[in-house]
Amino acid sequence: MQIIPEDDKAIDIAVEALEKGQLIFMATETVYIAAVDATSEEAVKKLVAFKNRPFGKPFSVGVTDIKMAEKYVVLNETAKNLYKRFLPGPVTVVSTGTHKVANGVEAENGTLGIRIPDYNFFQAVCKKFQKPITATSANASYQRRPYKLSDILDNISDKQKSLIDLMIDAGELPHNEPSTVIDTTLDDEAVILRQGGIKLKDKNEVLSRSEENTQNIAKELWQKYEQHAGKRSIVYALEGAMGAGKTHLVKGLAKAMGITEKVVSPSYDLLNSYSSPSIVDGSLTHIDTWRMLEAAEEMRSLGLEELITNKNVIAIEWADRAIQEIKSYSDDAIIIWVKIEYLSSVASAKLDGNTDNYRLISWGNI
Amino acid sequence: MLILAIDTSCDETAVAVTANLQVVSNIVWSQSSLHSSFGGVMPSLAQRQHEERIDWVVQKALTTAHCSLSTIDCIAVTVGNGLGIALGVGINKAKELAIKYKKPLIPVSHTEAHLLSPFAIPNSQFPISNQFSNFQLPSFGLVLSGGTTVLCLVKSIGDYEILAETSDDALGEALDKAARLLGLGYPGGAILEKLAKTGDPKKYKLPLPLQNDRIKNRFSYSGLKTAFVRLYETTKDPNKQDIADLAATFQDTASSHVEKVLEYHCSRFTVHGSQKVTSLLFGGGVANNVELKKRLRKLLNKYRIKLHVPYTKKLNGDNAAMIGVCAYLKNKNLNAKKLNAKYGGLKNINSVDRDPRLRL
Repeated sequence: MQIIPEDDKAIDIAVEALEKGQLIFMATETVYIAAVDATSEEAVKKLVAFKNRPFGKPFSVGVTDIKMAEKYVVLNETAKNLYKRFLPGPVTVVSTGTHKVANGVEAENGTLGIRIPDYNFFQAVCKKFQKPITATSANASYQRRPYKLSDILDNISDKQKSLIDLMIDAGELPHNEPSTVIDTTLDDEAVILRQGGIKLKDKNEVLSRSEENTQNIAKELWQKYEQHAGKRSIVYALEGAMGAGKTHLVKGLAKAMGITEKVVSPSYDLLNSYSSPSIVDGSLTHIDTWRMLEAAEEMRSLGLEELITNKNVIAIEWADRAIQEIKSYSDDAIIIWVKIEYLSSVASAKLDGNTDNYRLISWGNI
Repeated sequence: MLILAIDTSCDETAVAVTANLQVVSNIVWSQSSLHSSFGGVMPSLAQRQHEERIDWVVQKALTTAHCSLSTIDCIAVTVGNGLGIALGVGINKAKELAIKYKKPLIPVSHTEAHLLSPFAIPNSQFPISNQFSNFQLPSFGLVLSGGTTVLCLVKSIGDYEILAETSDDALGEALDKAARLLGLGYPGGAILEKLAKTGDPKKYKLPLPLQNDRIKNRFSYSGLKTAFVRLYETTKDPNKQDIADLAATFQDTASSHVEKVLEYHCSRFTVHGSQKVTSLLFGGGVANNVELKKRLRKLLNKYRIKLHVPYTKKLNGDNAAMIGVCAYLKNKNLNAKKLNAKYGGLKNINSVDRDPRLRL
């Protein structure tokens, strides 16, 4: 192992080492990183051995700019905004990968974390090297954050030391936090784009002026279809922006079904079930796709098909993230699509008073 | 009581070994993409991933603790609240081990474990100062996380009176949602906090939730969310500073709401009540929010109430050490024989089942 000071001469030496597939340590604006050629299988294997990781943990990579990033990941709007606002800087943006890096760099689900270190030496090396460099922190797993080379050397085994080819010493770094990881893959608009819009048959539309009002509309929505309960599954597919009142509508449905338990947002638990005293063996299943990466697949694994076969009453929030999946049950279930919208500024201007709580609620069958 | 504890309530596969209140090992395998400090996003994969990882994590917890399944006294497992299919993996593994090694199996509530997590102590040869030397019951208990927002009165271990619960979103969920709206990905609660540090919480104005509640027996974040969506829409092409200001404003208002509800109960129990409450147990992922903790501490000082939080941040995220500690606290009066009568034997073990909506 060789230790050299961080200066202009070190740039070429570092690039040469990376080209040879060697493991080198260098500084960034956050911590020292363990850098290898992220496209080289051999080099990444060496890194995995050094990090002494159990299995399957991905590595973030550093690049020079957004252009280089776009070779290795697909950037959605959220990601592009993050690059624009926060990079270069201590932020790692996770996007869907293009599978051009070595095995084990991307996560198992094909995502890749990229960052653009705000650090001249790194920029110079990466620019010259023209390939992404792993930017994982230089400590072995579960060890302290590496702000100076001795933080690393004092905490690793001889075997690990033997894996290091080159260390570039920039002295003790300011104790900045490691980079913040931001996962943007849940915001892939492609999911929604693929689904296409929804057209409602027999569209109904009402204006709700309050949360209570919304709950009463839900009651009507229940009474209208109650006769089918126990004979067929009834699915309320809810579409509406954040804060529009989807959960409030489900509270209203539950109340109408005689459920006295408190209905809360299932965003976190994904699925909640409440037994309803007004239907024999009946229950209301409340699902939320907000947190699901592949809403259709996730709902299947949560047993949506079985729920429908068992003629359950189901309310699905953020249903627009899984239109096709929900549509596919239209033979077995009565599907009521419910849209909750904020009023447009034009519409609110025509109404008196504070219209902040007003919502346009429309529904129909699909 | 040496306990092997398992928690697979959501995206983390967690196994720990605890000795009474002491955390001997606490292994958390996070399914999130890169950093274990954030939650995950692939619940359907959760089940499969839990199944693939759990043996490894159990082994790692045991070897780190230098013990084996034959030497532990009992097994504890989270049965709720959480994601049903994920919970099932931990429960099945716990049952398998309990039967194979003839150990009692204690079912534990995830929320109750968060509540009691401040009682955990580190595995250290050096004695630490005991933050509970003057601890008295009843105490307040506050659990704020992605899935739970509850303030309760802890009358005794296992006997809780709910003082306020959320009527819609959990606080952690609301923070994550606000972060996602700001384009900070998911889960963004922790990132929102980081950004908020550089933001001005007074730059914008958001309405305080449930201001008109005279009796403050609930939390609500839906109205705040709505107002935040509106506010964000009026901010044209926000730059980094605007985003930080928005983050700070949201966090500030969300925290004020917790403060107001807590203050109501502080004054209720301090002035009028015959029983005086002198401490508050605080757990759950949002307890890692430094700004909120600071504000709560200040408020509690005013009422001379001591704030108890876990000794390490790791105990606030999903973990299994708190499960072991909770199982111990609830059963510490049972000797081995009684413990076995209550939780041992095929019949008892097989009756342990998931309860996805279990609360306190």
